[in-house]
Amino acid sequence: MGGMFNNIVKPKITENFSFLDSELEQEGFAIREKIDKIFGGSLAIREVDAGSDNSPEIELVNLTTPYYDIERFGISFVASPRHADVLIVTGPVTRNMALALKKTYDATPEPKWVIALGDDACDGGIFKDSYAVLGGVDKIIPVDMKIRGNPPSPREILKGLFTFINQIEKQRS
Amino acid sequence: MNELILLCQKILNLPAERFAENQDEEVILQIDDNEFEKIMSLLYDAEFTLACMFATENIDEKSNLTLFYIFEKSRCHNFLALKYNISADKAPSVAMTFPTASLYEREIRDGFGIEFEYSKDTRRLFLHENYPVQFHPLRKSFRNGQTVPNVTVPPDEEYKFREVHSEGIYQIPVGPVHAGIIEPGHFRFSVIGEAIYNLEIRMFWKHRGIEKLAEGKNPTQALALAEAISGDETAANSWAYCMAIERLSGLKIPPRAEHIRLIFAEMERIYALLGDMAGMPIDVAYPVGASPIFNLREEILRWNGKLSGSRFYKGSFTIGGMKNDVSTELLHELSQYLVSFSSRFHDAVQHLLAQPSVIDRFEPTGRVKKELIAPMNITGPIAQASGVPRDVRIDHPYGLYAKLIPEIKTLDGGDVLCRFKIKAGIIQHSTHLISQAIREMPGGNVCAEPKLRDGTVLSVVESCRGQNVHWVSIRHGLIERYKVRTASFCNWPAIEFAVQDEIVPDFPLINKSMNLSYAGTDL
Repeated sequence: MGGMFNNIVKPKITENFSFLDSELEQEGFAIREKIDKIFGGSLAIREVDAGSDNSPEIELVNLTTPYYDIERFGISFVASPRHADVLIVTGPVTRNMALALKKTYDATPEPKWVIALGDDACDGGIFKDSYAVLGGVDKIIPVDMKIRGNPPSPREILKGLFTFINQIEKQRS
Repeated sequence: MNELILLCQKILNLPAERFAENQDEEVILQIDDNEFEKIMSLLYDAEFTLACMFATENIDEKSNLTLFYIFEKSRCHNFLALKYNISADKAPSVAMTFPTASLYEREIRDGFGIEFEYSKDTRRLFLHENYPVQFHPLRKSFRNGQTVPNVTVPPDEEYKFREVHSEGIYQIPVGPVHAGIIEPGHFRFSVIGEAIYNLEIRMFWKHRGIEKLAEGKNPTQALALAEAISGDETAANSWAYCMAIERLSGLKIPPRAEHIRLIFAEMERIYALLGDMAGMPIDVAYPVGASPIFNLREEILRWNGKLSGSRFYKGSFTIGGMKNDVSTELLHELSQYLVSFSSRFHDAVQHLLAQPSVIDRFEPTGRVKKELIAPMNITGPIAQASGVPRDVRIDHPYGLYAKLIPEIKTLDGGDVLCRFKIKAGIIQHSTHLISQAIREMPGGNVCAEPKLRDGTVLSVVESCRGQNVHWVSIRHGLIERYKVRTASFCNWPAIEFAVQDEIVPDFPLINKSMNLSYAGTDL
């Protein structure tokens, strides 16, 4: 009973993080400034796995965990392509996923951009000669940017996004 | 004498010379049409579990198509491999005796065009509607290369889901593209009000053709494919694959490499299971409890990077041992880190288990009945949480596990809470195994010179999700056939059973409590 009472009245404390990655923060907040300017405050990303080995998904999820917490930089992963500015696509595109990927792309409102993430997504990688794979993402939908890696680490993904946003900025000016 | 041969002699009433031992892992028994049915039913009576089933073409001069049935018998170190040559493109179905055979038979039908007589389910499996009906990619007559998908599908070739009709039952189709950052799969729910009456899972959206791609490659080249089977099982699958080739070559790898392999495989188990354990509180809307676990996982991933150069152990295993050594200082540091890891992990788990709102959702949600485990060949933490102590590291010890014997616990509930607790226990135990391997770390080099030999070989390991089976056939120094079956392939149906009568909002939680690999299933 005492436990429950204390639970209600005591001030709530979350874990005190002992890490501070100042380099990451510097990059992150530089991205944030540009996102504010170009995307009106938030960059919404919809992720589509078109045949990866699941390691890129693990690293993308890691971007949302406390060590990286990319929402503070104005980047969020959204549940529907209807809400997205950017599609991040992983994996070589399998025959079985090609239609679903195309439909997801078509469901994303203009203006939209596509980022291919991981070696397989960039050009089909070790799968490019398979009957089951159509190749890199650009075989199915137009790709604006490629982030290589097997898989790229969260930092590399963030750096890639930074480059991408700079690219958009240049196109705009 | 081999205990499995003695047992099989007795129950099958066959002379010893019918059985052949292969690479100290399997006992091969060639069977013919006349005895097929009888042997299958005797194995069923003797409670053998069908661990894997696959087909090969031209495995030797005498045969055209051969079916392999790999059986496991509890407390026997070896697996039993039934080798069955078929003359026409058909074979009797064993799905009514061994229910898991249904999936394998559909897989073989797609790959080789073999029809299974009296089969109840003849729908296609990994070849979706965009593939032509007569396309069988694993036949030797098909030369691998890019293909063009069918754009339109005739209505009678569309996939037929099980249909449930009654007043008030409606269907919810989900996927293949989901709302979260996860892999693609299709879930077809038949629901009454909020309760799930039936769930059918359709997979293989990510089918990349790994088995066919391996054919014709030399064993070193194909290692990259083994690594890509499932990202979070990279160490387990590279280990299984390398071990297969090493067994075939009679190659003993240096003791230091055996120690490093165990450390990497257990580190992988830790970060993979941490992901499941962080996902579960997220799915009951308690992210505060997930954060410390996510932090620990990121630390382990960074350690992976420090130890091997890859956060996922990609490119760190090699045939004959390990690509690189790990310095003694770094291992010592890891050992110290794991002490603090262990106590912080303990606190995080205790915090979660003390939240009534978490427990209320975890218990007794998504129960997997114990009776399902053996017939469905469900393995890993799911089996252990349902009271069945299966673990390849103990049942069929490989590498260093013959010496550093893992301890596993079981719980009887079979629900989400039990899986959560079992996974927590496995993580804690993995830290002990790693520390012990570091303490006993021998010196010397980490790689032996590989010498490759032809033949067939079976290799089975315990990944973070359970039993992974690899079978390799090499001829003239090149891979003739590579069969992989990861734990997820057999464990997915467990979700179909676990969600029955549960409410739809509990599905993500039940799914996360198992956290199976889509890539590892689809290949």
